[in-house]
Amino acid sequence: MIALSDINKSYRVGELVLPVLRGITLKVAAGEFVAIMGPSGSGKTTLLNIIGCLDSVDAGSYSLAGEVVDRASDDDLARIRNRHIGFVFQLFNLIPRISALRNVELPMIYSDVSPAERRQRALHALQRMAIADRADHAPSQLSGGQQQRVAIARALVNTPELLVADEPTGSLDSGTGREIMALFGELNRAGTTIVMVTHEEEIAAFASRIIRLRDGIIATDEGG
Amino acid sequence: MLIFFVDRFSLALYALKDNLRRTLLSILGIAIGIAAVMAVGTISKGGNYLIFSELETFGLNSVWVFRDRGDKDPHRRVREGSGIDNDDYQALTGGCCPAVQRISAVVHASFSKRAVIQAINRYSNAQVQGVDVTLTSIANDVVIQGRPFRARDITSRRAVAILGPTAAEDLFGAASAIGREFRIGNRKFTVIGVLEAKSRDFLASIGSSGGQDANNRILIPYTILQQMLGHKQINFLHAEAVTQTQADSAAQQLIAVLKRHNGHNYSYKSETMATYITTTERILNGVAMIGIIAASVSLLVGGMGIMNIMSTSVLERTREIGLRKAVGARRSDILLQFLLEAVVISTLGGLIGLTLGTIASIVLAEVTGFPLAPSLTVIVIALVVSVAVGIISGYLPARRAARLHPVEALRYE
Ligand SMILES: Nc1ncnc2c1ncn2[C@@H]1O[C@H](COP(=O)(O)OP(=O)(O)OP(=O)(O)O)[C@@H](O)[C@H]1O
Ligand SMILES: [Mg+2]
Repeated sequence: MIALSDINKSYRVGELVLPVLRGITLKVAAGEFVAIMGPSGSGKTTLLNIIGCLDSVDAGSYSLAGEVVDRASDDDLARIRNRHIGFVFQLFNLIPRISALRNVELPMIYSDVSPAERRQRALHALQRMAIADRADHAPSQLSGGQQQRVAIARALVNTPELLVADEPTGSLDSGTGREIMALFGELNRAGTTIVMVTHEEEIAAFASRIIRLRDGIIATDEGG
Repeated sequence: MLIFFVDRFSLALYALKDNLRRTLLSILGIAIGIAAVMAVGTISKGGNYLIFSELETFGLNSVWVFRDRGDKDPHRRVREGSGIDNDDYQALTGGCCPAVQRISAVVHASFSKRAVIQAINRYSNAQVQGVDVTLTSIANDVVIQGRPFRARDITSRRAVAILGPTAAEDLFGAASAIGREFRIGNRKFTVIGVLEAKSRDFLASIGSSGGQDANNRILIPYTILQQMLGHKQINFLHAEAVTQTQADSAAQQLIAVLKRHNGHNYSYKSETMATYITTTERILNGVAMIGIIAASVSLLVGGMGIMNIMSTSVLERTREIGLRKAVGARRSDILLQFLLEAVVISTLGGLIGLTLGTIASIVLAEVTGFPLAPSLTVIVIALVVSVAVGIISGYLPARRAARLHPVEALRYE
């Protein structure tokens, strides 16, 4: 599913070139549930953004589901993200002005799904996340856990093969975090590949494989 | 495709609600600009109509040729006289001048003793003019009652007259003047025609009515007037050029003939309607230009308002843009979304401006009596302009949004 080979990525801050990823080689098979851990600043988010086709690499190659994506154009990447990847963020990133339902419909707007089908699929995704009763609520009327359920519904609605999540429980209490992980587990058993960044061992334990980064290289890779 | 647009439209309207006050201000700016564009359009159209309909009462192709009074140099033999007599006129009517369509002699009734104009016990102070059979057609005079002059009226010096409506009213009241008699001095005339009323109110109000009341005239054959005055002089020639652009050539051709006849005694000048029309058009264009500048300034202000709103909106919604990109929005999607927002604002402004402008021009039409109906062209221009203002002022912020890097945008606090 995911094949990273000798990925390098650095950020330029003024004169300084700051290497963040230094030769990451990594394969993730379809259906895996991977947790990425490591100290703050070790490059977890950077790596996840590359896996999620949100960011480009400086060197190395990346192929996703057999398609080489490291040289793809912006619009091609947008299409790939739209069809094949779902995103879950620590801060949910729901659009505040519009209802939960409209938030979930968003990815389908960019894949030209008809309004009726969009609504029906969005409701279905909200049902799977057990939050359909709040479909008409604005994000500000929802708790953190409820917002994250809406965000996961949004990530799922185009039935992506890959779900990437950057500290999805980082803003939630541990009870709510466990509920979210239970949903992840269900999705994974249904066939979705998941790559998730987390700081918490308890959350990482839900994954079947744990990769630990240190200073931009893979320190350990257990399970899988 | 329609669905695609409706989606983005409904999102755009959400954003407008967010910045309601600033949005309303921009809408107002555009509205004022568009209303100004419309006001300028309708007023200059109305003004044009009014002035040209008055200029038309002189005949748009008219050419006047008369003696240049500045020719009185002491070495010249002849100092007096109009410089044009019946022999000259004979030469001019003989097809001398290809640019001339028609020509009429005009003779002033300059009696040595003031001649009273009288019908039984009613009087008129009308200006009496001796003219040829062609004059009414040259000067766009419409004979609404009776008939125009015939060639025989002129050649046989018939004592017949065509009256302007004021003169007819003064002499005969509300009753029909046709066939009635009146006197100029001790000469008896029969009325054969009455002219349609001419409006030169506007030109008169700016002192350019040609020094005569078009409605208070009495036209008689120039031949009979010359007989009454006892001379063969013609005060000036009123000709009609073949086309407006040939007015100058017509004048030159006529003057050339006159010079050939009397060049060592007199010199001549001419006036053409064409020069007045050019001047008028220049003034009207100047007025329209001022209006267009004012309208442009308000549109510019409105456009800058929209640009400001859109820039703020892009900044405030950076994370949203990042999220939209993450879930699959392409650059063009984001660009279109923000452009649509800008166009919605500017078009709302345009529609309000159109409404205000229409009301204003209807009110103006009522008050002034000008035909000021806003034309379809003006409406189309107003809408095109407002959409264009939206696109132009929304473009830069929208492009900035479209070019945001998704990772950077999502990290934005
Ligand atoms: N846009 C950027 N410009 C400059 N430096 C950056 C940028 N993004 C990340 N970095 C740097 O790259 C390094 C890795 O960042 P990254 O966000 O991947 O870390 P992380 O492992 O996710 O940390 P955390 O656990 O705190 O989220 C950090 O030192 C960070 O300061
Ligand atoms: Mg991070």
